[in-house]
Amino acid sequence: MTPHPRLALALAAGPLLLLAACGGGADGAPADVAGGSGHVKITITDDGCSAEPATVPAGAATFDVVNEGATAVTEAELVNSGGRIVGERENLTPGLTGTFSLQLEAGDYTVQCPNAATESSAFTVSGAAPASTEDPLFAAATRGYQDYVKAQVADLVTATGAFAAAVEAGDVERAKALYGPARTPYERVEPVAESFGDLDPRIDARVADVADPATWTGFHRLEQALWVTGSTEGMAPVAQQLVADVAELNTLVQTTTYQPADLANGASALLDEVASSKVTGEEEAYSHVDLLDFGANVEGSREAFDLLTPALQVTDPDLVTTISARFDDVTTALAPFRQGEGYVLYTQLTQDQVRDLASAVDALAEPLSQVSGKVVGAANA
Amino acid sequence: MSAPRPSRRGVLTGAAVAGAAGVGAGVAALAARPGHAAAAPGTVPFHGARQAGITTAQQDSLVFAALDVTTSRAGELADVLQRWSADAATMAAGTPVGGSGGLGGAADEPPQDTGEAHELPAANLTVTLGYGPSLFDERFGLADRRPAALEELPPLPGEQLDPTKVGGDLCLQACADDPQVAFHAVRNLVRTGRGVVRVRWMQLGFGRTSTTSAAQSTPRNLMGFKDGTANLKAEDTTDLDRHVWVGGQGAPAVDQEWMRGGTYLVARRIRMLVEAWDRASLGEQERVIGRAKASGAPLSGRAEFDALDLAKTGADGTPAIDVAAHVRLAAPETNGGVKLLRRGYSYTDGLDVATGQLDAGLFFIVFGNDPHRQFVPLQRKLGAQDALTEYLKHTGSGVFACPPGIGTGGAWGEGLFT
Repeated sequence: MTPHPRLALALAAGPLLLLAACGGGADGAPADVAGGSGHVKITITDDGCSAEPATVPAGAATFDVVNEGATAVTEAELVNSGGRIVGERENLTPGLTGTFSLQLEAGDYTVQCPNAATESSAFTVSGAAPASTEDPLFAAATRGYQDYVKAQVADLVTATGAFAAAVEAGDVERAKALYGPARTPYERVEPVAESFGDLDPRIDARVADVADPATWTGFHRLEQALWVTGSTEGMAPVAQQLVADVAELNTLVQTTTYQPADLANGASALLDEVASSKVTGEEEAYSHVDLLDFGANVEGSREAFDLLTPALQVTDPDLVTTISARFDDVTTALAPFRQGEGYVLYTQLTQDQVRDLASAVDALAEPLSQVSGKVVGAANA
Repeated sequence: MSAPRPSRRGVLTGAAVAGAAGVGAGVAALAARPGHAAAAPGTVPFHGARQAGITTAQQDSLVFAALDVTTSRAGELADVLQRWSADAATMAAGTPVGGSGGLGGAADEPPQDTGEAHELPAANLTVTLGYGPSLFDERFGLADRRPAALEELPPLPGEQLDPTKVGGDLCLQACADDPQVAFHAVRNLVRTGRGVVRVRWMQLGFGRTSTTSAAQSTPRNLMGFKDGTANLKAEDTTDLDRHVWVGGQGAPAVDQEWMRGGTYLVARRIRMLVEAWDRASLGEQERVIGRAKASGAPLSGRAEFDALDLAKTGADGTPAIDVAAHVRLAAPETNGGVKLLRRGYSYTDGLDVATGQLDAGLFFIVFGNDPHRQFVPLQRKLGAQDALTEYLKHTGSGVFACPPGIGTGGAWGEGLFT
């Protein structure tokens, strides 16, 4: 996840008001739009796709997308002059129809159907031009994420301070108890930390990740001392370094801003983390609190997704429905393993339970991987 | 093997083939299957009256996946089956998932197609779907749609089943002349189904061990013997109707109309104890199989396609084909006339880590219209009496109902969910 200096999003369309009864599935009836200016038909063919009528007045409109037999083309998108997809229907195999509905602002648009001989055709919305050039839904999402990251890192600073103090005091049992609570806020926003060069390795490297074990620092170095050696001897400098590194992260996130794609990619990256190291029990190899990280990764992923939901709801309500249901499935799958403030140890899971958790994560990660493309738009398609 | 098979040479020179589709030979005959349009070279039409991948001239590689349905929502399953049939048709035509743009698209999105079959030919890819008995429980309201023939297989002699290689709500059999093409097909369908289905077990097969067309030469299995000489072939339409297709002429009565034109697939992962087999003398190997190793001829005859003469005795009065020989016990003559369409593959999964022995053998796939009256009694007998059983161990198993083919615009699952 790469943070960006704040850039005005290059969006020409103003607010796209969320409409009730959006969508209608691939087989559903066209949705009704309250006070709409009516229906626009987009017919998909292998040669191209065009809207009928090609000009409509500003206001509510419902698009009926029909694939009458194109095999190479299965989707149609409405793209604004800023290159962002404002509405689309996908996976329309021959014979299927889908709809999407939205509030159209005046301006020049294109109807795009990837893979057709002619991929783009013009579509015009007449009326007064919008005043705003920033999509408030995305702006709210990125601001919300910035606040979330700051709050998590603030918690991280507090919890890491308490954990490090216990290590420096030589209180092994207390340090063990405080380890998990310090890990949680970090794991929720891990992709942000990863965007700052060597900060994440200093804080979160496992022994297998470092070129020279003598230079190994961070949480897992302390984890090994507490759970394997059972002693904090020689660990005070490592604890102090960890406190300093977390403080540095806190300074950095105060001024970091995010693009919508950062939220989407971060949400996906967190699930890849779960799939590659948490569900395998590799992350917390000594303490076995992997499910705590697992839960935190999923929480961070969901937060980013929830913030994007109002904007996504406009362009692809079906995707929102699918992803929300699968987030729920993951939460449900994890629930039986909750214990007190945390979770049972990874070593208490059976192979079947690990497999169930892994497949719930995979099931979620697949549709979530499509979000980034939805929020970036068609500019680089 | 009931009737003498014409020699391959005879077929290839255009000699008439009893029961052939009335076309010359081989590929042309297969393209003429009912309901199948002629396909481009190297492609097998996905749509048609029958599913492809059953009587299709057997390809060189297999990827077989048994899957479980993880959702409880029938609508999601129906949706995945519909998407699978669209994707399978696309890939069988040599096109990426998502059409010609499936490999590209926006830089910010994962490509729709995983890409490893890009620029490879379609390699005669077929994808064949089956429904396991467990699909017909209470989850999706399908209990009253289960055909009587689709029952879990009973315990059978000669098996030592690995619980991680048994059963499944669904199966996908992908066959192609290129293993990468077959794997690509299964991988992409598994990806499409993520969240609704998940792989329960999987088997890669290299090298066919059967012949399903008179135009094909007989391959050898990992025992080094020709396999599939007496197999049913695509050209044997009368026998296929009677023994393989549900509702065919002379077949058992149909109890579930949606299965008419379908068939049942039994899969058995048969590990060969190759170390012991390789130590057996040539005479012992030939006695156990009942054929000559080099030529494939039955021990009662001289050439591969000579009919078995089970009554023939040698000078010393002993049967030419041993009483416990595999070909005798598996022959239709000793099984009430039962004939099956075999479509197996050699497999290896490397090593049995417990013993250091090779884990290799035959992934046996067989099609028939009543597995419990065809495969089950046959395996009961073989498992108990077949001299070959000493060298085999059945380690994986599944039975699946393969629905009939679908027409253009149709979708898998339409007989079940509509």
